[in-house]
Amino acid sequence: MGAFLASNFMHNIFGGLAQGVIYSLVALSLVIIWQSTHVLNFAQGAMAMFATYVGLTEIGRGVGYWWCVIISVVVGMAFGGITERVLIRPLYGKPEINPIVVMVGFLGVIEAVTAGIWTSTTRNIPAPFSQIYYQYRGRLILLSPFVIFQIALAIGIMLFVAALFRYTKLGLQLRAAALAPEVARLLGVRVHRMLTIGWMLSAGVGAVAAVIIASGNFGLFPTDMDGVFVAGFIAAAVGGLESPMGAIAGGLLLGLVEQFILAYWSPSVAPLSGVILLVVALMVRPQGIFTRSVNRRV
Amino acid sequence: MNFLKSLRVQETTRARLLSVSVLTIVALAISFLLPPVADSQMAGGAAITIVILGLSWLIGWSGQISLGNSGFMAVGAYAAGIWAHHHATTPLIFTFLLATVAGALSGLIIAIPSTRLRGPYLAGMTLAFSAAITPLAQNFTSVTGGEGGLFLNSLSTPSWFVHFFSGPNATIDANAQWTADLAVLVAGISFFLMANLFHSRTGRAMRLVRDNDVAAELVGINLGRTRTLAFVVAASFAGLGGALYTVINATVTPQTFPLTLSITLLTLMVLGGIGTLSGAVIGGIIYAFSANLVDHINALTGVNPTSNLGANMQGIIFGALLILTMIFAPRGIAGMGAAVQRLRKTRRSALASSSAVD
Repeated sequence: MGAFLASNFMHNIFGGLAQGVIYSLVALSLVIIWQSTHVLNFAQGAMAMFATYVGLTEIGRGVGYWWCVIISVVVGMAFGGITERVLIRPLYGKPEINPIVVMVGFLGVIEAVTAGIWTSTTRNIPAPFSQIYYQYRGRLILLSPFVIFQIALAIGIMLFVAALFRYTKLGLQLRAAALAPEVARLLGVRVHRMLTIGWMLSAGVGAVAAVIIASGNFGLFPTDMDGVFVAGFIAAAVGGLESPMGAIAGGLLLGLVEQFILAYWSPSVAPLSGVILLVVALMVRPQGIFTRSVNRRV
Repeated sequence: MNFLKSLRVQETTRARLLSVSVLTIVALAISFLLPPVADSQMAGGAAITIVILGLSWLIGWSGQISLGNSGFMAVGAYAAGIWAHHHATTPLIFTFLLATVAGALSGLIIAIPSTRLRGPYLAGMTLAFSAAITPLAQNFTSVTGGEGGLFLNSLSTPSWFVHFFSGPNATIDANAQWTADLAVLVAGISFFLMANLFHSRTGRAMRLVRDNDVAAELVGINLGRTRTLAFVVAASFAGLGGALYTVINATVTPQTFPLTLSITLLTLMVLGGIGTLSGAVIGGIIYAFSANLVDHINALTGVNPTSNLGANMQGIIFGALLILTMIFAPRGIAGMGAAVQRLRKTRRSALASSSAVD
């Protein structure tokens, strides 16, 4: 068993999963927004990054790691709600290019403001658990307490979101507002409030992903989340943008594909792995792996 | 009246050529009046104008949202850079053609999966492409020179041109001037080609595909091929713009094409006016003098330009401009002009009809 865990193959599985759960979280946060408001939030990564900077600043004031996570998530949620109210609400019913362009502009503003406040140098949040990999008879197993924490936290958040949507009254209202806004409004659901809550929820999930990334070796810098956002989008698109399960599966798949291309093909080609996966997935199933086929209405 | 109309249609290409020539000559004349620093800014603006022309065509006329044009620009820039690095004596026009073809090819490759996508999917897909370009350029060190990039011979100014200049810095002044004039000339030619394309049969088909794809299919337009063509044209313009940018700066590095360049291009296009020719030129002019604009705003708001915030002012201003334009004036500067014109026309026709009643 130990020898198997220390094999090259399992190295890549663990590495891929550790990266994949982060992609899954970002993809999930994109899907929550897409389902409710049909906006692809290009500033999702930057918003999460900004929230994490606020949490990081509080760590500098002597606050513990868990407070940093909570502060980041709360700031992220507030940020998400305000963004929906101020920037997105005027754009409902406009051509689909308008929200895309506005959020791309917002991405630019957030990154520039962050660099303006906190400079562009990389900062680290100390990891809450040891980052030293386990060993089996002198051979590394690519798992450390921190990696296990990372995977467990991500899965916990996913389960929380799933339970919220499935078993609570709020979740039912959120789904109703997304699926049939007119009917939901007639039945007494405050649809606009649900959309705001959807954005808050999504930004909170994004902030968790950003905190995990910033903890430990990788660090935090203003353009930190650009690549992660792109990966999260690819994961969500592979899963079909409509489906939370698809987003999670897409994220794990992307993490693994990236890791295996890195290990068995060439590190130079690795940046293209997302594009390759997306192209292949869209060729096979343009509507996404986990969605039922829906004809586009004319 | 009908006779006049038909006359106008036949004359348009020639009229377009005339007006573009006049514009180009005016721009060349202005370059003689500007100091060398402004000349090199103008050259950069001309290169960006070409890229925006392609982007405006793709987003405005074919209705496909792309965030990948900085990637196409990088492909053209590297094609020109790699070729000119190894073959310094090649005529410039050949380098430009090569970069245009390279851009077009990359556009074709991206278009094949992309034209099946719409809206946000397409934007994300093209974003993924342009995000992959910088790491690729960093990784394939033997071809691209890696992090440090490639250096080219700077443009050689012909000696007859240097004779126009005098003083201690004659050669430097002449070089800046020559570069700017060359860039303006290339931009002028691109503008003429794009203006014709906008008003061609293909351009009209493109708009129909954008507005109503079912109707387009009914009149026999091949949707997939038309959408692919839009990408190829946009990418070839981006490739040419990238090559021009490389030749102007005599270097190409991965840092030239960050993800923020896509945002900048989008901002400039939206500010100028989506899907307008004049908007692309306005965008190019704003790009050329954006540094002065930022300095001016820094001075107005009292932000120290050497401070951390001052260094990031350009990103803040461009992003904020993009948001504000999209929410309050989605047609951009060129669109505002057109709106004023339309208002005047309707008022005049209203006046005319009221006088007819009298």
